[in-house]
Amino acid sequence: MQALSRRSTELGLIIMAGVITAAMYALASLGKNSIIPPVIVPFLIVMLGLLLVAHFATRKLARGADSTLLPVAAMLHGIGYVMITRLNDHLAGLQTTWTFIAIAAYVGTLLVVQRVPDLARYKWTFFMLGAGLLLLPMVPGVGRSVGGARIWVRLGPINFQPGEFAKILLALFFAGYLYERRELIAASTWNLGPLRLPEPRHFMPIAVSWVFAVVVMVGQKDLGSSLLFFTLFVVMIWVATERATFLVLGFTLFGGAAYMAFRLFTHVQDRVHIWIDPWSQYQGKGYQIVQSMFAIGEGGIAGTGLGQGHPNLIPAVQNDFIFAAIAEEMGLIGSTTVLIAFLLMVGAGLRIAMRAERPFEKLLAVGLTTLLGVQAFIIIGGVIRVVPLTGITLPFVSYGGSSLVANYVLLALLMRVSDSTSRRIGELPDDPTIAERYAAWQLRRTLGKTSAS
Amino acid sequence: MNAHIRKLAAGLIVCYLVLFVQLNLLQVVKRPELASNTNNNRGVLRDFDKPRGPIVSADGVVVANSLPSTDTKFKYQRAYPEGDLFANVTGYYTYGFGATKVEKKYSNVLAGNTGQQQLTNITNIFSGQDNTGSVRLTMRADLQQVAKEALGDREGSVVVLDPKTGAVRAMWSYPTYDPNQVAVHDNTQTKNVLTFLNASPGKPLLANAFQERYMPGSTFKIITTAIAIEAGAVNFDSTWANETSFTPEQTTDPIENYNGRVCGGDLREVFRRSCNTPFARTAILLGAETMVTGANLWGIGDPIPFDLGGGAVSHFGEVSDFDQAIPKLAIRGFGQDDNSMVPLQMAMISATVANGGVSMKPYVVDATLDHQGRVLSQTKPSVWRTPIAPQTAAMLNELMVGVVQDGTASCCLKLANGIQAAAKTGTAQLNAKGQQQRSHAWITAFAPAENPQYAVVVMLKGTTDEVSAGTGGKLAGPIAKTILDFALAHPLG
Repeated sequence: MQALSRRSTELGLIIMAGVITAAMYALASLGKNSIIPPVIVPFLIVMLGLLLVAHFATRKLARGADSTLLPVAAMLHGIGYVMITRLNDHLAGLQTTWTFIAIAAYVGTLLVVQRVPDLARYKWTFFMLGAGLLLLPMVPGVGRSVGGARIWVRLGPINFQPGEFAKILLALFFAGYLYERRELIAASTWNLGPLRLPEPRHFMPIAVSWVFAVVVMVGQKDLGSSLLFFTLFVVMIWVATERATFLVLGFTLFGGAAYMAFRLFTHVQDRVHIWIDPWSQYQGKGYQIVQSMFAIGEGGIAGTGLGQGHPNLIPAVQNDFIFAAIAEEMGLIGSTTVLIAFLLMVGAGLRIAMRAERPFEKLLAVGLTTLLGVQAFIIIGGVIRVVPLTGITLPFVSYGGSSLVANYVLLALLMRVSDSTSRRIGELPDDPTIAERYAAWQLRRTLGKTSAS
Repeated sequence: MNAHIRKLAAGLIVCYLVLFVQLNLLQVVKRPELASNTNNNRGVLRDFDKPRGPIVSADGVVVANSLPSTDTKFKYQRAYPEGDLFANVTGYYTYGFGATKVEKKYSNVLAGNTGQQQLTNITNIFSGQDNTGSVRLTMRADLQQVAKEALGDREGSVVVLDPKTGAVRAMWSYPTYDPNQVAVHDNTQTKNVLTFLNASPGKPLLANAFQERYMPGSTFKIITTAIAIEAGAVNFDSTWANETSFTPEQTTDPIENYNGRVCGGDLREVFRRSCNTPFARTAILLGAETMVTGANLWGIGDPIPFDLGGGAVSHFGEVSDFDQAIPKLAIRGFGQDDNSMVPLQMAMISATVANGGVSMKPYVVDATLDHQGRVLSQTKPSVWRTPIAPQTAAMLNELMVGVVQDGTASCCLKLANGIQAAAKTGTAQLNAKGQQQRSHAWITAFAPAENPQYAVVVMLKGTTDEVSAGTGGKLAGPIAKTILDFALAHPLG
């Protein structure tokens, strides 16, 4: 059966990703210290073990899901992990811990979310949660500013970026909201001059949530996330309503907002100036991007070899600039591989969206895929000077627990939508979930008791 | 909605294509431009993280190589196993302060960066295999060591040439420095060492054998004699009256012979005894134009075509310098006044006489080799100038033999095994009359006279009383003898 062989394909691809990661790990260590690290065997076991846990969880909980998403994510995760290890041993240990948590979050998400339509019911909960998380860094005593952006939250011993989770919650909300009202919004019976807009009462909640997200993000000086939310919103409403007006309107609004931000905030002006001409500010604000350019150029086609470049010349390379390190040490071949990996994930995500039969699932898959694809585009584009640099992480690759965990949750949701479609179109029997079996068992017991009495 | 999802997919693909195009621009098209940006020190870092090829002497001694570094800054440390022995030829190679001499000029070969090396190594592009080249010198470490010991702690220089090819067999300058102290990875230390060396009075960073010029004294009489013979003004039958001094026109200041002696006779005699007045008279007889043109035929006044480059330029003067200045012409005619010679060029003058009048381009790099020992480039000996006819060269050879047999070098240049050397000495008076005695001591020689193998110059700077009290023959002569004896007794290979 086609749906079942997907898991075998996935297993094969995951083993390949694991072996490639282990090989890169060994090469990076050889390049840097000229020794094969003795921890290579336990490393391989742990790495493959974790991926296999994810795989078997999928086999058990979402066996009809797409077979390429998880291996490609594992590949990107592996490349990122090797680069982080090569850049900073201390961070590598932390990233290992985050990997455990991320895989647990992946399995947990598959376990908790077994019926996609259930999610639509909680859209307002997601909205409140998402809004709360976005606001959290601005709460005095909890929020922390790092590198100019106030996007961190400290709760006890744990630091995290709530924005990474908020983006998923908002995608869930948008999907839930739009699938209900997309026809009403698309109807656009309110004429405002030459524009035909939806009735304000259908349109307002989304406009409010957009304004809210953008204001919060600009308030936190996190331009990358702001752009990401904006794009998510515009793309989802465009796909939901099938009306280009929203695309045009969205980008007009975006242009306006961007221009306002440029006029109002000096850090936005700095970013734009550095983008246009980093060379004149080499000693100052342009240093990071210029070093990034040098690193990428140094890589050439084949790269310097893992462990043999000098990516540490780029400040904070393990976070936003990890792509430059990959381009330096693995060359055009390696950097293009990362691009293709993200395109494969985008392709798989959009294929899931197209196959999905229910609008909510379609929209959710579109939203999640857009988040992934656009986030990667924004940060890679920033690093290689296609767009102004904004500080967001490269999904699965950058160092950072919040980003890794959030993206594995995102992945689990996409897998869930994919599996759900497989069952709905009859590729797999629609077995009851554990929760449903439990409910049925309770029902039987109740009925049995009733009949016995 | 599916149609819109397809459009979304197309849109994202376009976005990623833009990224791909930009990556190609940065990593392929603009790569050289980025690499050559002055703020980009990755090229230097890269070179310090891989071994750099060795510099090897003609007798197979490694004089510069790469060792695994003991610090964490770079993977390799440039080392000079022979210490200061080749410092003025290899130069140094630093992280923050560039490189000099062979390290600079042949940096691409040593780092494996020449197009040829990268092309032959293209199959290893992914393995990053070591493709560093090496440089083989014409110089002999054993001869260099002999020259170093013979000069001792006296400031000066020694140059040994192969007259037939122009190959430099030894070239020692003192004072010098230890390049190991400069090539440390700590930039501050490098800076301190270089600052100290630059401030040192003997200019140890400059190879005085070819980067400085000194008053040549009587060694210049070879040139004056050559010009006169070539002009037909003088031959073996020419004679000069015995006199203690000669006062040219336009002055009342007499030109005296060394120590005010009576000196004169035929050409053989005045040459071997190094009388001053005959050569002063000859320079005046020839006139400024002939003297200037003749000196220039030898390349005096032109940069020496030395493969290391960066040499000093010898100086005789322009015709206009001698306008209404006959005495100046006379004095420069025997190597005093504002006449100055690069020691390397003085060695080349002997070599030219030894080589039948043909001056070869001097060189220290014999060949460059790739990582597998295949020759990348081989220096072919080439002619620089032919300032004199073979007959003139033969006459000068005979005159210089006279200096060794029965002249100013007779004390000190009788070689072992009865081998005949030919030479001219020089004691260049630096002080004016009545001042503290200061003079450079020179000898320029070649041997064996009938079939010359080596041309040598020894120059001792007149910075001490000891050197200034002696003559070229007595001070520089024994050094030249030690070197020629060793070189002739130990043929290369």
